Amino acid sequence: MRILSLADFAVLTVAAVAALYFQLSLPGRLPTEGDYRGVAESLAKESKNGDVLLLYPWWAERARLYVPRSLPVVGYLGSDTNPLRDFPRIWVLAQPNLPRSDIKAFERRFIPGRTALGSPRSFGNLQLSLYRNGLYRPAVFSAAAEHPSARVYIEEPDHRQLDCPFDGKVHRCPGPEQLRVDQEWHEVLYEPRHCLWMHPPGGPRRLVAEFPSAKLGERLTLAAGIVGEYASRRQPELTVTHVVVEELTSGRRLLEIAIPPGREGMQQAETPSQLQLPSSMALKIWVQSDNPALRETCLELFSDRSATP
Amino acid sequence: MSSRSTRQWLALRLKDNWIAAALFAASAAALAATQAPVGFVRDESVYFVAAESYARWFQHLLRAPAQALTDNGIVRFFEINHEHPALMKMLFGLSYLVFHEWLGVLKPAAAFRIPAFVVASLIPAVTYLFGRSLFGRKAGLWAAVSFLLVPRQFFNAHLACFDVPIAAFWLLTVYAFFRAQREPLWWLWCGLAFGAALATKHNGWFLPFVLAPFAVVRGWILSRGSPEARVWFYRFVGLYAGVGALFAVLWISEGPRRFVANFTALSPASALLALTAVGTVAILRQLRWASESLFRALAPLGAMAILGPLVFYLHWPYLWHHPIDRAAWYFDFHATHVHYAWFYLGTLLRDPPFPLDYVVVKTALTVPITIFLPMAIGLGAVALRAVASVARRWRFFRPSFGEALVAANAVAPILIISHPNVPHFGGVKHWFPAMPFLALLGGSCVACAALSFVHALRRRRRALSGGPVAGLLSALLFAPALVATARNHPYGTSYYSELAGGLPGAATLGMQRQFWSNNVTGVLDWLNAHAPPNARVWLHEVTGLAFQEYQLNGMLRRDLQAAGGPWDAQIAVYQYHQEFREHEMNVWQAFGTETPAAALYLDETPQIIVYQRE
Repeated sequence: MRILSLADFAVLTVAAVAALYFQLSLPGRLPTEGDYRGVAESLAKESKNGDVLLLYPWWAERARLYVPRSLPVVGYLGSDTNPLRDFPRIWVLAQPNLPRSDIKAFERRFIPGRTALGSPRSFGNLQLSLYRNGLYRPAVFSAAAEHPSARVYIEEPDHRQLDCPFDGKVHRCPGPEQLRVDQEWHEVLYEPRHCLWMHPPGGPRRLVAEFPSAKLGERLTLAAGIVGEYASRRQPELTVTHVVVEELTSGRRLLEIAIPPGREGMQQAETPSQLQLPSSMALKIWVQSDNPALRETCLELFSDRSATP
Repeated sequence: MSSRSTRQWLALRLKDNWIAAALFAASAAALAATQAPVGFVRDESVYFVAAESYARWFQHLLRAPAQALTDNGIVRFFEINHEHPALMKMLFGLSYLVFHEWLGVLKPAAAFRIPAFVVASLIPAVTYLFGRSLFGRKAGLWAAVSFLLVPRQFFNAHLACFDVPIAAFWLLTVYAFFRAQREPLWWLWCGLAFGAALATKHNGWFLPFVLAPFAVVRGWILSRGSPEARVWFYRFVGLYAGVGALFAVLWISEGPRRFVANFTALSPASALLALTAVGTVAILRQLRWASESLFRALAPLGAMAILGPLVFYLHWPYLWHHPIDRAAWYFDFHATHVHYAWFYLGTLLRDPPFPLDYVVVKTALTVPITIFLPMAIGLGAVALRAVASVARRWRFFRPSFGEALVAANAVAPILIISHPNVPHFGGVKHWFPAMPFLALLGGSCVACAALSFVHALRRRRRALSGGPVAGLLSALLFAPALVATARNHPYGTSYYSELAGGLPGAATLGMQRQFWSNNVTGVLDWLNAHAPPNARVWLHEVTGLAFQEYQLNGMLRRDLQAAGGPWDAQIAVYQYHQEFREHEMNVWQAFGTETPAAALYLDETPQIIVYQRE
């Protein structure tokens, strides 16, 4: 028993010394305001239009206070594996000295498909690196960005159309305020998405957005999800949300997503790679759910192509 | 005992009482001195209003007693927040009347919180006395001091809420139960302390389930040599078993609704209650004749059974005219409590079943490692000794009655909340009643370790004594906790231990970074300095009542107006929770910017983010 108690004494003493070291050294592992200002100055000088700043750890977003407003900042649970297809270059702002920081593990997730452009630079406890994004695929069409040119209406089961006039920013439909089409910021499974808000009107009715001449690249992709915490709800009265893309003239279904209650995150569908898309097409996208309650739908429809070197 | 040894014993007891009093005073002073920056948590803002309302009832009672005692007169003041019993809120409210309204010496929030400090300060004092009698002075002192050095406990001890008070009254009940085994009259204190626990929070109703096995086993052992005592023991146990079985039959046969509806003054259920009370008194009177020691084992239980519900009923005027209906509503409210989202190891927990390991892991990650480790070792040692003592040759390892009592109370609150269907929000506060008992086991571990070290070195250094070694070891163990508490204050719900890697490590692990909205105090100075005159400000998650309290207590400019959301606000103050990310997106959308104007970051983790409309 005495030996055990002596062992306790040793364990407690070692733990106390280690804990004291941790507590006293922690402030020294954090970046200062000066470190952030140094990073901000470098980014202001060196960043280009189309760059993005990725944070590691994903939650360490204090940089948002300092970096140039023109530079999008990405950091959310899961952002390490975001392909960031819209951005040819990625700045990574890392804090490798934070407790539980594992920069090597981050690099294992992040590096594939990326090429470092130069060596990392240190600003105190901040580390700034620049990468060429090999996963970059420039978009030739984005329904969210081009929604002002769309024709929006609610389609009744008898094919009558209730127009949703564009007020210069938003397409507003008759009925509840949520029946609108606009590019908005929403969260889908923690990820901020600047997506197309299209709330189903309920019953067999559809909310429709028509794009008479959508430019097409190598593939057409539809992504849709239910916003925020509503996605997790599974009440029996909730119904599946259908998001469908059709060719406007022929009515041929190109892409389709069904989001059942409880399904979180963006669901995605894209045209098969062997399908040759024309350079432009008239498209129609519609959203429908029998019960519109808690079916706050946000979607992206885009077409992209490979980046030319 | 000779008169000399009696005098020595009395002197030691006096010394211990003085130490306990000093611990009480120091704790209350520390809490009072550090309360000003502590934000008003969501629940507290409601309790402030309820407390004031209850206190107004006392004023009304003095002015118009006949009217105040009618059901309408009571409900008018006690309807608000009848989800919880009234004891602490009455104390908060009376303190507010005395220190703020009559004497004018304290701001409203400080005045409301004074009783919380007083009740919280009972914990170090009673923990010391309990530890002193079980494990010695060094262990008692360590346990007592450690309680307020756990940052989350230190934070919660400031609040006019019930989580620390229920821990205090739980501890007091168990301490009284323990002393009642040897000393007269403590059975009465045990019953009254249990009543105070019931009058504080619903956790108290679990206490009999923890203490009854100890009373029954002890009663069984003590009555072994006396057939007469054994008969009365059987009668006592039989009374409760019989009444319990009959209540179960009534409940099952009638169903919950009819059971409540039929529970009138002249009903089988009332008769059973009367039988329990009369039977308990009659049996305990006879038991006292048969065996004083057996009486002491069982009387605390009898006192709890009679005085507990009596205090619960009498202290809460809301129950006076409709005791059954309203008590039934109260129990039903807590039995069917909603579940709030809670971020745990990278997953948002929304609905049961919750992970079985949650409470243990959360405790390990939120109690400073230098306090958690002795607790774990102390509890493990008692458990190991209990297992080893099953073997005949290691029977001497068997934990004492007191050790087993402490260990059971260290584990029971954790087991209750660990049930996968019990709500898991609220950080660690829901199992605070376990913490003083874990601290006692931690104290015994530290004291034993220090003593062993002294014994090991005594051959070489004869002058070495246990006190300084235990003191040094304790100081070394408390130092990191003290640093962490000082750095973390007043953002107590955000603290994570060294095991988590502090708050940054916990954020990477995917743990809830804060809750209850009080961290908003970190940006109030910015708001006061930068908000335009009469600006509409949306304080996300902060209740309208808390918004007013910040203004009443001089923490927020009075010209600022509370907005209902980002759409009608000029400034939005968002609280970073994983489940609330959509709220921040709404701010981006409404304000046309994703760039914060100011923020509160704790060790780099975003907590409160301020946006200003472009």
